[in-house]
Amino acid sequence: MPVLPSGQSIRQALTSPRGTRGQRVLMAILVGVCYVLGFVYHFVLWQTGQPAAPVLEWAYHAVVAIGFGMAWYLLYQYIRVRYGSPAKVFWTTLLLGIFLLGIASLMSNVGAPVSGALVGSAAPGIDIYLNVPLSLLTVVKANLISLGTVAFGLLLLIQFRQLVLFKRSKSSQRNWYLMLGLILFTSLTALWVEPGAAKIILFLPAVVLITINAFRLSWIVYLSFKEKMVVSGLSLLLFLMLLVGFVGLVSDDVVMAGSLLSYYSPMLHTFSVLAYLFGILYCATSLLSLIFHLPTTTDFQRKAGELAAMQSLTRLVSQVFDAETLYSTITSSPIEASLANTAWLVIPEVRDGAIRSRIVAATNTTPAFLNEVLDAKALYDEVSSSRETLHLAQAPADHRVAARPGDGIGSLIGIPLIARDRPMGVLFASKEVSMGFEDDDIDALKVFAAQASIALDNAHLFKEQLDKERLSRELDIAREVQQKLLPQALPPVDGATVAASSVSAQEVGGDYYDVAQVDAQRTAFIVGDVSGKGTSAAFYMAELQGIFHAVSRLAPSPVDFLSEANRALSGSLDRNVFISVVYGLLDVEKEELVLARAGHCPVATINLQGEARFVRSRGMGLGLDRGQLFRHALAEERIPLQPGDVFVLYTDGIVESRNAADEEYGYDRLLAALKEHRHEDAADLHRALIDDLQRFTGHDYYDDDMTLLVLKWHGINLAGSLHSVAAVPDGETHESVALSELALPAE
Amino acid sequence: MLDLKGELDAHTAPELEAAIEKCRDEQKYSLIINGAALQYISSAGLGVFMAYIEEMREAGGDIKIAALQPKVFNVFDLLGFPLLFDIVEDEAEALERFDKAPS
Repeated sequence: MPVLPSGQSIRQALTSPRGTRGQRVLMAILVGVCYVLGFVYHFVLWQTGQPAAPVLEWAYHAVVAIGFGMAWYLLYQYIRVRYGSPAKVFWTTLLLGIFLLGIASLMSNVGAPVSGALVGSAAPGIDIYLNVPLSLLTVVKANLISLGTVAFGLLLLIQFRQLVLFKRSKSSQRNWYLMLGLILFTSLTALWVEPGAAKIILFLPAVVLITINAFRLSWIVYLSFKEKMVVSGLSLLLFLMLLVGFVGLVSDDVVMAGSLLSYYSPMLHTFSVLAYLFGILYCATSLLSLIFHLPTTTDFQRKAGELAAMQSLTRLVSQVFDAETLYSTITSSPIEASLANTAWLVIPEVRDGAIRSRIVAATNTTPAFLNEVLDAKALYDEVSSSRETLHLAQAPADHRVAARPGDGIGSLIGIPLIARDRPMGVLFASKEVSMGFEDDDIDALKVFAAQASIALDNAHLFKEQLDKERLSRELDIAREVQQKLLPQALPPVDGATVAASSVSAQEVGGDYYDVAQVDAQRTAFIVGDVSGKGTSAAFYMAELQGIFHAVSRLAPSPVDFLSEANRALSGSLDRNVFISVVYGLLDVEKEELVLARAGHCPVATINLQGEARFVRSRGMGLGLDRGQLFRHALAEERIPLQPGDVFVLYTDGIVESRNAADEEYGYDRLLAALKEHRHEDAADLHRALIDDLQRFTGHDYYDDDMTLLVLKWHGINLAGSLHSVAAVPDGETHESVALSELALPAE
Repeated sequence: MLDLKGELDAHTAPELEAAIEKCRDEQKYSLIINGAALQYISSAGLGVFMAYIEEMREAGGDIKIAALQPKVFNVFDLLGFPLLFDIVEDEAEALERFDKAPS
């Protein structure tokens, strides 16, 4: 398609095939000139009283053919842009007919001689032998009658063309143009062929095509009842008028217009006869067809309504993602399509862990009323479990329907809505009368139900996707929040290096670690594990974080801190939730570490000489006992520090990690790895332990939350020359880098 | 008397919960959990015992845990469960203890 630069060009491009305005004006002038030339020709014939020379006569016929041909073209262009309804087509044709044929009929009666007064004359005022007009009146009459009759013939063909070519096919279009061609051809032959048997044979092909085209009536079915009434009336009038005109054309009676037209131009006479014949036949077939179609109009309109309702629902399939709107559209569409009087939709919903059916939409009725007059659930259960359409032709006879005659449920139908082999719900429709649903109604409802199923399925998928996205967004936020609760950087500890990391099996976890400087010489460490995993654990983890930062400064000693923490958490922990914690307080001045274990995995420790052990002091998990027992059960362990001492605090996710053979990593492997790498500083040791664990499990994902904190005591004498460097495993697996909490102490 | 087998973690905990609730609904408050075939217990599993112990004791009963494997016992022990629960060698001992305590 050519690219049109502006609106101006588009207008031109659209109008140019019809010729410009100037061309049309020029053509109109030419038509007028041709007509005047024709008039002059007859005037001269009358003046001379002699037949024209053959050359002149042929020139006259050519001028007439060109003039009316161009008139046809002009009228066609003019009318083609005004498409109208069939009623309008018949109405305008009738009006034009009254006007044009009125002129013709008026003219043929002006100054008409009494029949038979001029003996030997075939037409009034025309010399039969010389074929010349005998008076000026005859010349005027012949011209005007010809104009009126032929113009109407042209208009008839142009107007009915719209009807014949309505919903055209290739063959119908071909038939139409073949008919026009044959009419023109037959008209031309009239110049040579005298009336008689030969002429009738020549007429035959045109008549056959006229008959074929007269049965192109597809526009009729689209009319409403009222329109059909109007059009049949108009076509009857047009039929009668054309019949009168036709008789006038073909009659031998000298007073009739036919003889004058025949004199004016045998060609135009033949054309008019054929055009009127087509008009008569078309009006007759239209009239009969309209009358026969009248009783079926309502049925047809109902079908069209069904179609429209179906189309609107199909559009909905791709558009509506709001469930409520969709439900009401699904129930209202069968009503709009006149398939039922009432309709309602039952959808299974998961509520309180059980699937319950619910009427989600009802048209022309209410869920409350339905529940009163029928057992909606039982009907739903049957259709939904059998997956077959349920048709109760006499609904009140069914034990599940308690409707009385006035309740509007005489017959009932339930169609399962199934998409991707999953039941989406059941669409019910009912009619007031019993036996209300015919087979084709049921078929239409089924097609409709299939569309509705897809629409419902789409809506569900959309909602699921939306929920999933929202959930994942919220979990992302939760993870971010939790990551902020873990230390972003570990505070430096004089004489010691610390490294720590934590990963969650899910987006959020229940593990916690932290380091806080309590005062100038003491630093508190904590590693905790909330029972369970996921979101609930994450909330308690957050609570523990708050407690650690608030309480460790006020009650730094392990027993005091843990007792306070237990008391604080008792109020909020669920009965089946507890937190295991290990807490240590490092005193740089005293070179001493005090540890207490509240139900947590024992701290692994090793000295420079390689003597390793687990510090397993007594203590219960936070939340197990909410009274005095907790404090009584808790014991501290004081450990004097020697340079090179290493302490490893961890959660059970580490020691309970399993490999492909389902073996646990266990305490012994942890201790062995610790022994091997004990000379390294905290960061390297931390990385070495994680590497050893991953080598053992053979994978880099986590079944449980895992936290590891390594503290190495270098000795106070080294303070200043050695700062703690904390790091996490890197490099080897991207997963661990991405998930681990990198904690580097600030210088 | 409930026998546990396999692993008790967040996925299997609801089964144990349901079993204990069934006992409670039948007004059987004295439960013995036999852990001889229990391979592994997670913190969520331990939570189940926590959730019901108080209720059972208030109703005059108890939950006694018997015949735990050493590794599983270690988990109970680390958390200080022996301070709260009667954890005994075998079922016979558990029964004996129920008999001794007036209920």
